[in-house]
Amino acid sequence: MGDGIILARRGTPVVALVTEKFWEQGRLLAAARGMPDLPRVALPYPVAGTGVPALARVADAVAPAILAALRGERSA
Amino acid sequence: MTELVEADDEAAAVARLHALGCTDGLPVVVPTPDRVAAMLAGAPELDPAIVLGVVPPRMGRATVESVAANAVMAGFPPAHFAAVCAVVRAVCDPDFDLGVVQATTHNAAVLVIVNGPARLVEPAFASGVGALGPGPVANTTTGRALRLVLVNAGGGTPGAGDMSTLGQPAKLSCCLAEAEEESPFEPLSVARGVDAGRSAVTVLGVEGPRQVMFVAVGDGAALDAERLLALLGATVAAPGSLGGMGYGGSSALVLSPYHAGLLAAAGLDRASVAAAVAQRAVLPAHEVERLHGRVRAAGHDTRAGVVRALSSPAHLLVAVAGGAGTYSAVFCGLADGVAPAVTVAF
Repeated sequence: MGDGIILARRGTPVVALVTEKFWEQGRLLAAARGMPDLPRVALPYPVAGTGVPALARVADAVAPAILAALRGERSA
Repeated sequence: MTELVEADDEAAAVARLHALGCTDGLPVVVPTPDRVAAMLAGAPELDPAIVLGVVPPRMGRATVESVAANAVMAGFPPAHFAAVCAVVRAVCDPDFDLGVVQATTHNAAVLVIVNGPARLVEPAFASGVGALGPGPVANTTTGRALRLVLVNAGGGTPGAGDMSTLGQPAKLSCCLAEAEEESPFEPLSVARGVDAGRSAVTVLGVEGPRQVMFVAVGDGAALDAERLLALLGATVAAPGSLGGMGYGGSSALVLSPYHAGLLAAAGLDRASVAAAVAQRAVLPAHEVERLHGRVRAAGHDTRAGVVRALSSPAHLLVAVAGGAGTYSAVFCGLADGVAPAVTVAF
């Protein structure tokens, strides 16, 4: 979430990918930095160390939500 | 001005503070305006409106007044109020990268080491037997006051601002004074650039302490010193620590006066102890690969075929504290660049 906030401040379109276990922390970070509506997409937890096939499945599942958020179609 | 909350009596106020998430889970002293004023009187040179730091992740402003309220809650002795303000300044130094310390899944606590004449003001900071607690009021409440600031100004509530997987007792408090009178070395603060005779606090992000037991064989000062240095180095590079994985960060070594004396008898000063321990704080790269499946570049010395737990000797704090006995402590730290040692004089 922190990296997304930094990029957003530079004007880069951002969707923060936040695992579900860190969703509340992401909300706190975004709110504290004045970006409560920064687009976020939830990932399952954990993703690290689950292997390439599992990561690919997660990517396929969340890609539409990422694209939608980047298009500003809805708040993820 | 800090926010005022009303309650019918002391017990109700404590319950309300717990319910608001303003505590560390232990009973607190209710920070009434009179009590906060008495705390502020402990350091009249500090304007209550001064912002000591901005505390992530909530980015709350830790003013002298708000720190006083947290210090009251911690049961902190007003005579040392300037010390706890210095601690807050230290952790809010951008070099300390408090945002990572607060938010990480690591069990990062903040080790506070107090130097200088402020140690001796009653109630004195303990530097001898049992300095890390339980017991010494100045020590335990310094760490506690800091934790409450991290919770209340920083939002460091477990599960939200503080994502430590398990937490640890040192998050409640982890503070000691250096045993300057028993140490064969110059005070830690002086080694870090503070004028002799001035008080200072030094902070470092750490795991809990790992005890190091060592009894001299007595077959020569150099031989005993070498054994002790090797043992300390191996402990700094403990498997499972970030340093032992190759993150190459900082650590702290709190030598008992007995162990410090053994090293001094072999001709070592503080800097040479740090250099010698850093040199020995290694794991074979193949062992790290066996344990973790890979070796991180940060600590990987490919020429020597080892993983170095410390980025340099300067990444190892060496302090002297504790009573009689054959036990020192190693505090493994975080990754390089996260929560390095920061010293603030006061």
